[in-house]
Amino acid sequence: MRGAEILLQPGVFPRLLQGLWVTVWIAGASVLLALPLGLLVGWLMTLKNPAVRVIMRVYLDFIRIMPQLALLFIAFYGFAQAFDWNLDATGACVLVFVLWGAAELGDLVRGALESIPRTQYESAKVLGLNSWQTFTRVILPQALRRLLPASVNLVTRIVKTTSLATLLGVVEVIKVGQQIIDANRFQYPDATLWIYAVIFLMYFIVCWPLSIVARRLEKRWAHD
Amino acid sequence: MTDINATTTGSASLGVAGAAEHPAVTAQGAALSVRHLVKQYDNASAPVLNDISFDVPAGQVFVILGPSGSGKSTLLRTIAGLEPIQGGEITMGGELLRQAQSAGKLRSASASDSTKVGMVFQSYDLFPNKTVLGNIMLAPVLVQKRDKASVQAEALRLLERVGLADRKDAWPHELSGGQRQRVAICRALIEHPQVMLFDEVTAALDPEMVREVLDVILELANSGQTMLIVTHEMAFARAVADHVVLLANGSIVEESDHPQEFFDHPHTERAQQFLATFTYDRGQRQS
Ligand SMILES: Nc1ncnc2c1ncn2[C@@H]1O[C@H](COP(=O)(O)OP(=O)(O)OP(=O)(O)O)[C@@H](O)[C@H]1O
Ligand SMILES: [Mg+2]
Repeated sequence: MRGAEILLQPGVFPRLLQGLWVTVWIAGASVLLALPLGLLVGWLMTLKNPAVRVIMRVYLDFIRIMPQLALLFIAFYGFAQAFDWNLDATGACVLVFVLWGAAELGDLVRGALESIPRTQYESAKVLGLNSWQTFTRVILPQALRRLLPASVNLVTRIVKTTSLATLLGVVEVIKVGQQIIDANRFQYPDATLWIYAVIFLMYFIVCWPLSIVARRLEKRWAHD
Repeated sequence: MTDINATTTGSASLGVAGAAEHPAVTAQGAALSVRHLVKQYDNASAPVLNDISFDVPAGQVFVILGPSGSGKSTLLRTIAGLEPIQGGEITMGGELLRQAQSAGKLRSASASDSTKVGMVFQSYDLFPNKTVLGNIMLAPVLVQKRDKASVQAEALRLLERVGLADRKDAWPHELSGGQRQRVAICRALIEHPQVMLFDEVTAALDPEMVREVLDVILELANSGQTMLIVTHEMAFARAVADHVVLLANGSIVEESDHPQEFFDHPHTERAQQFLATFTYDRGQRQS
């Protein structure tokens, strides 16, 4: 049980929290930026214009086919340097997660918009609502309901995937954990398990409420 | 021309758009006038409606019958402005409502134009994100810019009339099909449309709910509301109609101002054949 004592060492817990903050920051910033972009992408995906359709299709497929890690390397080593961007590792992560989140969210938005029956548009039209009123008062509220559970799951996936940021040298919670383990290899040889247990708990505390929200919403809105 | 607020203070009447409140309608004689209407779907080889003309006087109950695929829904949808037309025109109270456009586009309607026609569909199409009251109040407040309090008062009166006052705060998914259709009727009526269109509003209902909806439509007919009804309920058609038309192969093949006579002694062979599909003869049973 000696390994557990490492958690009481001064600085260990605060450092882990700092790492968690980086994780939450990357995920939070990505989600905040991906939300409006995803709505836009989803709307573009429903357009009939063939050029827009092809571009959106290629965008979505590219993001889906490429492993996230490859995207991160392209953004950090390829992109940033080729265009001489001053993009640090955190920025590259946010960029990739925003592009990924917007593509996936966009596809969810498209599905939700397309699942609204045509008669909803038609009854709104016969009642005299114009297209904007129909979209904001009738279609979007219904689409958002259908969308919410799946997009909460997407957010948890983004939170978990931030661990890949380590590979670009971002010191997020997993990296901090590794550093602590390495530094205390001789003093606390069996610390590994304990540190990872704490990290596991931290992810859990961030993601669990999201899963609960998702499940609640799914139940509550199951009827439409 | 028509003061939509004037009726909100009147007695709780289903026939909120009674003929007396629409001078333009009575002056013209016909509430709705369809002339040489041609409708062909984009990828179809022949028109669904081929040069159709008829008048619906104010207060008339105009029943449209016809076999499946004869274009009954299409006809109502063109009047409602949901489908562009390729020929002819539709006028309401003497004013042009729809006409053929070379570009195949619908004329953009003004807010008052867009609320002249009310329609109830076969599918239950209440907005699931709004309560019963929210569904009914949305358009009068948003489109007609009417006072919220008086709209709410009128909505409650309408709900009272269709027997759903106690369900005003329910969500659509909590209602039966028959209740939803009655709410949909209120939602259309509150805009005081000059003409109401009903497209097989009971076709998707369980038999025991058909009655409650048809009774509402009958009462509405008695109150003087002009309406076009598409139905497969022959007994109901017979009871409610002032005028019957039989639609087949893109044209009106028979019409009558005497519904009883039409049902008992149809003149054309097509009408006899159509009406025969609703009766069953014991003689067909092999013993
Ligand atoms: N959006 C559409 N595009 C192409 N063809 C259509 C479309 N809607 C209907 N049609 C065709 O037009 C014809 C008339 O259809 P409509 O729905 O008006 O018939 P209906 O008389 O209402 O039939 P039912 O009694 O089955 O409801 C049918 O042949 C149908 O296949
Ligand atoms: Mg039909």
